[in-house]
Amino acid sequence: MTARYPQWSYAAALASLPLLTHRRLRWLMQAGEPSDVWRQIHEGDRFLNGVDEAVWRAWASTSDSLLISVAERCIDREIDVLTMNNSSYPASLVGDPEAPAVVFVRGNTEAFRHRRVGIIGTRAATSRGKHFAHTIGAQLAASGVAVVSGLARGIDVESHAGALSVMGETAGPPIAVVASGLDVVYPREHARIWEDVAMRGVLLSESPPGVHPEPFRFPMRNRIIAALSEVLVVVESRSTGGSMSTVREAMKRDVAVMAVPGSPGLRQSEGSNDLLRDGCAPVTSVDDVLLALNLDHRHAHQWCDTREVLLTDEAALLHVMGRGPRSMEEIAMLTTKSVVTTAVLLGRLQAKGWVANTDGWWEALVA
Amino acid sequence: MFAAVTSSTLLATMGSPIVVEAHVGQGIPAFTVVGLPDEGCRESRDRVRAAMLSSDLEWPTKRVTINLAGGGERRGGAGLDLAIAVGLLVATGVLSQQAVEGKAFVAELGLDGSLRPTAGMAPLVSAVGDHEVVVAATAVAEASLARAPRVRPVHTLKQLVEVLKAEEAWPHVDVPEPQVVMDEIADMADVRGQEMARLAMEVAAAGFHHVLLMGPPGAGKSMLARRLPGLLPRLTDEQAFRVAMTRSAAGMPMSAVIASSAPYRAPHHTVSMIGMVGGGSSHLRPGELTLASDGVLFLDEMGEFAPTVLDALRQPLEEGVVRLSRANGSVTMPAKCLLVAATNPCPCGVSSPMACTCTPIAKQRYLRRFSGPLLDRFDLRVELQRPSTSELTSTSKGESSAAIAERVQRVHELCLARQGCVNSSLSADALEEVAPLHDEALNVLRTHLDGGRLTGRGYHRIRRVARTLADLHHSDGPIGSEWVHLALAMRAKLHTGHGEMR
Repeated sequence: MTARYPQWSYAAALASLPLLTHRRLRWLMQAGEPSDVWRQIHEGDRFLNGVDEAVWRAWASTSDSLLISVAERCIDREIDVLTMNNSSYPASLVGDPEAPAVVFVRGNTEAFRHRRVGIIGTRAATSRGKHFAHTIGAQLAASGVAVVSGLARGIDVESHAGALSVMGETAGPPIAVVASGLDVVYPREHARIWEDVAMRGVLLSESPPGVHPEPFRFPMRNRIIAALSEVLVVVESRSTGGSMSTVREAMKRDVAVMAVPGSPGLRQSEGSNDLLRDGCAPVTSVDDVLLALNLDHRHAHQWCDTREVLLTDEAALLHVMGRGPRSMEEIAMLTTKSVVTTAVLLGRLQAKGWVANTDGWWEALVA
Repeated sequence: MFAAVTSSTLLATMGSPIVVEAHVGQGIPAFTVVGLPDEGCRESRDRVRAAMLSSDLEWPTKRVTINLAGGGERRGGAGLDLAIAVGLLVATGVLSQQAVEGKAFVAELGLDGSLRPTAGMAPLVSAVGDHEVVVAATAVAEASLARAPRVRPVHTLKQLVEVLKAEEAWPHVDVPEPQVVMDEIADMADVRGQEMARLAMEVAAAGFHHVLLMGPPGAGKSMLARRLPGLLPRLTDEQAFRVAMTRSAAGMPMSAVIASSAPYRAPHHTVSMIGMVGGGSSHLRPGELTLASDGVLFLDEMGEFAPTVLDALRQPLEEGVVRLSRANGSVTMPAKCLLVAATNPCPCGVSSPMACTCTPIAKQRYLRRFSGPLLDRFDLRVELQRPSTSELTSTSKGESSAAIAERVQRVHELCLARQGCVNSSLSADALEEVAPLHDEALNVLRTHLDGGRLTGRGYHRIRRVARTLADLHHSDGPIGSEWVHLALAMRAKLHTGHGEMR
């Protein structure tokens, strides 16, 4: 029997069924052609074992209008639907026991063929952590490595902003794995970077278009980030943070987890420091990551710091600031300069992008 | 049968003269007050009657009409009691009209016939200052603030009648000469550390820039704000007089003392809209904004104030006056105050970023309590940290208020001579003229504008603050980059969410 609609739209419709888990979706997709499965569900044929009555009823209560609305959204928003037997489906997900049977993507799926490094971390990151994520994102992109991340606030978005800051044909494309539907931008202030990623890399989600970022979707998203990454770098994470769930998923899959050391006592670094204590490899520069990927790091550096060079007094101040946030009074005391002079120097450094100020606490942005 | 007696009534912070007409004629015995009297004035009848009977004066069993002649506003106040009583006595022939010519009567009557002070004695007496003003002897100190040349304090109604009948001389009560004094204001020297905040207070005083202090509890926000009036120049005679009038109109207890230091008001955060901007149903009362005029209005824990109350500050802060319009009239009250607000940087209020437990969203939500336009009013937004142990225990004192006030005074004089206003009121056009930027300074501002760290609104505010900083440091000519950097350091960026920044 020939299907009325293209097969991908049946796959998308199956992925949009209510009460779905990734396991049930995989069973459905393995049961036959998506169009046949769709027809069987609606004809009341309960062909799978281990699926509840209630679930069958909920599935059967859907109609072709669900299929049409999902398909229309996909066409409108230029969203592609990939199933596991599609050649564009990410190869690293194929062998994964918990892989999503259907994924929605926007952008260039060639990105999945690059070397891939996941960069994750807390949303409430320090300026210094964000700066590190930005820098390493840019350096990896300059080395042709794709940066995988979740487009959340903080570390996630900074790593992609860094990757996108590198121009050129050979730059590694960003891969963003998000929890909501690809047409539901979350958080809203990331709308622009969301578009940039779709333009120069690829956006991926297992949620069909229109789905809101419900909390349970984030751990699910994390397992895809872990599965897509060859190496996972944790920049800053609290010990209970969501990043730690990505780390657990990565460890299940034997993905190398690396962590960026942080100041002891800094809440934002508790989790990443715990990882180091437990034996994860440290990342202090991009070279560590490139070595873990077995890439030649000697020629890789096409990225250079574009910030304006420092004058002697500015460099001295930056040196004195050290690690960790400090108040202006503290810095003035350390430099034995007046607060006014310090404020002027810090202002100059901030304009050049060497220091950041959050709520009156100053941090040096040096990797 | 007919009499006209002068008195005065209170309109917000100002007194206005009024003629109380009394007519006693044939008819059914009655007592009516016409001419838009307020509730308090209608009660006068009973007080006046009791006072007259207690003073062995006859209450006319005739038809009595009292008219409060004057404009269209609702008038009243207990201060008209005495004028009504005297009007009745003239109308019934107990006193002659000549006896009350050139005199004004401002006092409330007690049931025992004694004269009592009423709220706003100073502006009430001031409004009829060219008359011989009869006031209660107990109100003489407050009445003296009006600087009326002929104040006649009297103890009782009976005594007044005897004086007006020329049977007795005016009782001897000393009318004190108002003393001009400085308030006791805590000294800046007590503030340990906080160099930036101290400088910000100096700039605030010198350029009349509104300040927002952000810092954890215990950083010294209130301490700094309390000391700000001590940095402001002494009030001019005219200002001090206005402040005294306003305080008296608000019913604050007054003595024969005129404060020449800038007023300081720190209303609690439960303050109502009317408490803040003024108003009220019986008579319009000045609010905290007006009481703080020519001085400092300090809002501690700004986030706890009702958002409507905070937003009501915006227009008065811009114009320097509060305009209140009610169904029965409108008034304008001065509101030229220096606003100092204090807030915690985030809901948890912990001092260090290592220990703060707030999510970025919670922080943004906290800051979103303040409307953007209000945040824009603050030229200076300073972040404070708790002073370190060594600063707290240090025995060396900071610079004294007097030394700072001297510099502030000089800048005020300089600004008045140069542009006729304080730096914070400079218009964008005037800025080009009196505060041109050095090339380097312009470049700094450009990078900040391009980098999205400065908004168009912030640009002009930074330039005004930079002008004040340069003035304080005797720097003439185009404004150098160091002042711009410093001004930027004193304007903390606030992330209010959705990538928006103020």
